[in-house]
Amino acid sequence: MQTRCQPLLGTLVEITVPDAGAGAIDGAFAAIAQVQTRMSFHDEDSDLAMLRNAGPGEAVEVAPETLEVLGIALELHRNTNGLFDVTIGRELVRDGFLPQPEGPEASHCSGTSADIEIVDDRRVRCHEPMLIDLGGIAKGFAVDRAVAALEAAGVTEGLVNAGGDLRMFGARDWTVGLRDGDGKVRERIALADCAIASSANAGSSHRRQSRLFAPHFGAGRAPVAVPTRVSVIADRCVIADALTKVAIAAPASSQWIAASYGARILRESALEKAA
Amino acid sequence: MTRFTWASLFAVPVLAASSSAIAADYLTVAQAQHILVPQADAFAAFPVTLSPAQLTQIRQISGVPQRTAQPRVWRATSGGRLAGWVIVDEVIGKHEYITYATGISPDGHVLGVEILSYRESKGGQVRDVRWRSLFRGKTVRDKFKLNQDIPNISGATLSSRNITDGVKRLLAIHAVALAQVR
Repeated sequence: MQTRCQPLLGTLVEITVPDAGAGAIDGAFAAIAQVQTRMSFHDEDSDLAMLRNAGPGEAVEVAPETLEVLGIALELHRNTNGLFDVTIGRELVRDGFLPQPEGPEASHCSGTSADIEIVDDRRVRCHEPMLIDLGGIAKGFAVDRAVAALEAAGVTEGLVNAGGDLRMFGARDWTVGLRDGDGKVRERIALADCAIASSANAGSSHRRQSRLFAPHFGAGRAPVAVPTRVSVIADRCVIADALTKVAIAAPASSQWIAASYGARILRESALEKAA
Repeated sequence: MTRFTWASLFAVPVLAASSSAIAADYLTVAQAQHILVPQADAFAAFPVTLSPAQLTQIRQISGVPQRTAQPRVWRATSGGRLAGWVIVDEVIGKHEYITYATGISPDGHVLGVEILSYRESKGGQVRDVRWRSLFRGKTVRDKFKLNQDIPNISGATLSSRNITDGVKRLLAIHAVALAQVR
């Protein structure tokens, strides 16, 4: 096995493949870099920048990858009764988790995912001013793209880990350590041919003048602090990644939402009980 | 439907060492050189000593202080002609210590960034000089076993901000000390 690691998507991305497949790693990193280029909130050349700089109702041509992610995101928005919403860029900018980019001021944004329309197989239209942030889903999607690139290159097994959102393919069992909210790794599980993503915000949430600031949001777009880790296992990493946000936003209903995607939620405390 | 298999779900009492420290070694310097400048047929160590004025310039250009006056630079050549540069550098975060290699083209563009080694600790020993020098010694001599037990961790995202800043600093080193070299 060979593992390489590059700084991408604002984190460290590891790709592990058998030695015979090492030549495919560059292509897999390139697939991740493409997702980063098109879907970075910070990059003024990204599709997200084009969307926020377009006038309301104006159709914008985006990369096929961006279209696919938005399609998955809109479906999640419908299936979670609005809990999963990529227009959360407004709150993330307002609360200082993201910088205010060019385009509409966060305070002037009124749109939700219901105001995003996928026009055809190339174009997207936002009917209200909004700040789309794909931070809750693009990392998992990028992992899936990298796995697809490896498989297309004939690699039979491997693992792609983008800062804790990871997917493995092939027949092999992989041992995965689960990093808890306090940063420690207490449990390890063996997984094969699936994806797992984890979220916690103990390190980034805080209170100021009794108001909560956290990078995750629940019902009514209110910030949610979670001291413990939530992990989701699914067949695709994009779903695992997105469902960690749902699991944080709505602990109770997330169980059946996950089940409808064939996914499972593992919470820090639940695993301790399993032990 | 559900394709994932629960090969087993076990909660092993993880060794104390691995619960407090996570470490991974990815590539040797030589491996990284060939990945970053694949067309090069030779990589020669290129001793550089930055003057105080250059160190100031690097800080002004990159916004990040350059701590060592002697960066670890290799000149990559193809058939004797300059093909690029490889600089090996390290960044120290609050909880992590990362060695990485950056490939830079003769005209000052990033060709690629590869992480060589990663050390993480929640116990604060990242800033312990003895601990770091042990790690650095390993990296320099390439004596350690690569790709042994690299842990696959699902959890809190690690920021690569330090590395992004580090690469800016390396580009500034190129601008003030290497750009005129043929």
